[in-house]
Order: sequence, then structure tokens, then C-alpha cells
Amino acid sequence: MRGVRIVDLGGAHAIILHRPHAAVSALSRQLLAVGLRVTTQWPVLEADALAADFVFFDADMGFDEQFPWQRGQAPMPLIALIGTEAPGRIEWALSTGATAQILKPVGDSGVYSALLIARNAFEARRALSAEVNDLRQKIGERQTVVRAVVMLMEQTGSEAAAYSALRSEAMTARISIEEAAARVLMRGLQPRDRKPTGGAA
Amino acid sequence: MKRSVPIGILYSRSGSYARISDACRTGALNAIAEINADPSRSISFEAIERDPAGNVDNYGPLCEEILRDTPARHIIGCVTSWSRKEVIPTLEKSGGTLWYTVPYEGYEASDHVVYLHACPNQHLLPLLEWTFPAYGRRGYLTGSNYIWGWEINRLARETIHAVGGEVLGERYLPIGSLDIGRMIEEIRATEPDFILNSLIGTSSYAFLKAYAALGAENPRFSPARCPVLSCNLTECELDDIGAASEGLIAAGPYFHDGSQAFVSSHEAAANAAVSTLANLLEAAEENTRLPIAALLQTPAGLQSRIDAKTHHTPQPVLIAQVRQGAFRVVHSGGLVAGDPYLSQPVPNTLRRLRAVS
Repeated sequence: MRGVRIVDLGGAHAIILHRPHAAVSALSRQLLAVGLRVTTQWPVLEADALAADFVFFDADMGFDEQFPWQRGQAPMPLIALIGTEAPGRIEWALSTGATAQILKPVGDSGVYSALLIARNAFEARRALSAEVNDLRQKIGERQTVVRAVVMLMEQTGSEAAAYSALRSEAMTARISIEEAAARVLMRGLQPRDRKPTGGAA
Repeated sequence: MKRSVPIGILYSRSGSYARISDACRTGALNAIAEINADPSRSISFEAIERDPAGNVDNYGPLCEEILRDTPARHIIGCVTSWSRKEVIPTLEKSGGTLWYTVPYEGYEASDHVVYLHACPNQHLLPLLEWTFPAYGRRGYLTGSNYIWGWEINRLARETIHAVGGEVLGERYLPIGSLDIGRMIEEIRATEPDFILNSLIGTSSYAFLKAYAALGAENPRFSPARCPVLSCNLTECELDDIGAASEGLIAAGPYFHDGSQAFVSSHEAAANAAVSTLANLLEAAEENTRLPIAALLQTPAGLQSRIDAKTHHTPQPVLIAQVRQGAFRVVHSGGLVAGDPYLSQPVPNTLRRLRAVS
């Protein structure tokens, strides 16, 4: 497993979405000590929040309309500030996509580990969803590959040879099998490794 | 008539790391005696001492005893990070402050601790930066089995890898263990360029003696070819190590050159703790009841050089080598502010040379 990135929190921007409260000052103190820039906003996030590196939000009084993005679609790691451990509030905090939490009252510690855990889980989730999108696209292109293979079979005579022609096309052009298949279909019946007939080049 | 202010002293008088405790305690008690004898000072200190006897489980209860049973709000004490972490919840609950006078591994900025010795950007990173061109980038890492050794070695490993070096081995011993045979064998087998030793107390002394014996037998392991580096070795332990200390390299904020007042950085830091505290409390009687965060906002606090955000202090970066039984400074990196979370840019010489995915 890859280690936690630790050295680039300095200068990162954290927004605390919470009404003025002792929790905010305790949180700010810890964030400043770690080397982050801190701004506090309430009751809604301003447009500049989209550029923040971390958002801490109040899970007790929070609601979806506070965030300038679709529920669960935050472009940065979110950290829930939980006072009331009621199931409904925890459910809502989870629905925001928060990947770490800090319990209120906020004391002398807890912020540094929350930052690292939130960012690590956020990045893992983002990588996973990129991979899922990629696989979905591949599944969608399955039919393209089948059609290209069928088309190439007319030239090459067998399914194995057709597939191998397609793979060699992909490797030569350094593109995916799916992209190569799309090219073959666009181009019609002119596979690259077609054997020359007669003496004409 | 001086105003008397009680302050807590929480150092172990016995146990594996008693030498360091003694050095800190001596520095604190001497400084208290100085303040008390100084006619220009309007306050005097009354030391309230508790002895955890080297047992980590005694620190929390004894810290609580001082804060609960006496009017003392400030405690000078703790050597291991483990013991420091044990007292922080108690300090937080009672609004007390710990003045901490030994090097530590960073990644902490408690609102209830003042850090008066070096953290990694003031010891480990400059030490490695200096070592790589002088001796090489292939290191062997040792440490005692708790947060100090673990975190120092993690940071060393990351730094060594960042410059394309190699970690040839990494091994830990329980505090007080003398079972150093395997480390020596691994070092003999892997032939590193340097050894970073974060063992503490008696384990460290045993290791250093065995390694010096290896060096006497095979020059490949002499201080000139494969030195032992440390961020926690100070003058107060040289007698225990004896002749085996020759050639050891240490980083720290202070080394005794024979002429200065304090015989180790621990004494110097403990002295700074007591005199800074005197400056903070002297200004007004109600100051004795203020938490450290508020004290740092007073004029004396602003002059104290204690960073209000992190409670860390600027420290001189010095690298010294034991030559003829005493430390000689071989490199001075100037005064550097404490950066406990390493949020400041890393020096070019320690930056990643290659992209790591």
C-alpha cells in the first residue's frame, strides 16, 4: 500500500462551514499549527469554496443547500464535525461524501489525522470511480469490437486471425483495442496487415 | 518581598533514560535557584517535584496530582514522547502547561505544551542533508520501540528514498533491552554508509559499545567510513558510553564547548524554560492564572520567541562530532524556526529526484 502523503499540507486552504463557536476556534488553532490557511463561512459556502483543499462542515445543523455542488459530488475531501451522534445526522453526514469526522467539543488534537485520513479516502474513492467509468466505457464498446472482428474475418478468414489483426493495429498505433475497433469500422475493409495481392503495392 | 510561584517538576530520577532526566532536572533546579537569588526579579519559584521513576504509567497520575493538589499551573518535565502524550489529556483538562526540554519527532502542537528543544526540521533533516554528500545515502536505521524511533526512522526512510538512497535495515528494541547482537550482524552484512541511531538510554549505550568493537576489528565500520548519527545523543550520556563515543555525530541546538554555562542542551533548554516562564509570570500577578495561549499574547509572551501558533521555538542547527571525548561542532546551519508538521518547503538538496508513483 502506498504511504500517506505528508509533506504538502503547508499552505493548503481549509474552509470551516460552521457558525461562530468554540469548536471553530479550537479547530482553527490546530489547522494553523499544521500550516494551513483557514477561512470560516456560514451558513453557505461561497463560490471560492470550489477551490478549497478541505472543507470541515457542521453535521449537527447542516443541510444540502449549503454546498455549491450536488450531494456527494464535492471536489475536495470533506470532514464532518459531529456533536449529536444521532443516526439521522450521521446518515446525512455520510450522504455528503465526508471521508473523516471530528467529534465536538474539539480539543487539542485530532485534526491532523482527520486531514490525512480524509484525503487518503477521498483520493482512493476518486481513483476507484475513474476506474469504474473506464470499465463501463469498455463494456459499452464491446459491440464495436465484435463488429470489427466480424468485418476483419472476411479478410483474414478466421476469428483468431481477425482478432490478432485488431490487436496488432492497436499495438502499432498505441491505442486500446476498443479504439482500434472503432477505427477499423470507420475505415471500412482496409485492415493494416492485409496481405498484398498480386504485385501491385 | 518576592512573590512566590509554585511550579511542577516531573522528571524520573531512575530508569533507563535517567541521565537525560537528571540533566533536564539539574538545568531546571539551577535556573530556579538563579531566579530566586536574583534581586532584580519580583518573583521566586517553589519547585513541586514528583518522580515517575521511569514508569510511563506514573506520568499521567503524577501530573494530575500536581495540578489538582497544588496551585502550580506550569510543569517542567517529561523526557520520552510517550510520557508527554500521557500527560497532555490531564493538562488539557486542568488548563496546565508542560515545558518540554528534549528533542522530539514533531507532528504535535498542543495548546498545552511549550516545545523548547529541536524537532525534525531542526535536527534530522539538516543532519541527513549534511550526511549524504559527506558519507553517502545508504543508511541503516535503529530505534527504541516507541514513537520517537518509529517516526524519526519513517522520516529518515522517506528522505533517503527521496534522494535515491537506500535503507539497508531497520530494527527496534524495547526500551531498556540490551539485545543488540542482531543489529550488529545486519550492519556487518549490509555495510551501510551511515547508521542512524534512535535508541535511547541503556540500549543505545550497549549498541554503541558493540559497534565500536566492530569498528576496531574492521575499518569498514570506523567513524570515518560509517559513522553513527543521532538526534538524541547529548553530553550527559558520554560518560556512560565511554571510549565508544569517539566519532559519534549528533545534531542538536547546543553543544558544550567547554566554556559555556550549561553542560548539555537539556540544561540549556530547561534553563530557558524557567527563565522564560519567569518573564511571562512576572509582569502581573494575575498572569499566574492565565493559560499559556493567553500568556503568549502578553508583551513578555510576544518577546519570548515562542511561536503562538505552534508553541515551538527557533533553535540553532548544529552538527557536532565527538572528538577526544567531547563534542566539536563541525557544521552550523543557523537559527531555524520550529516546523512541527514540516509544512515549509523542503530544501532543494532533499527534494525528490525522481517521480515516485
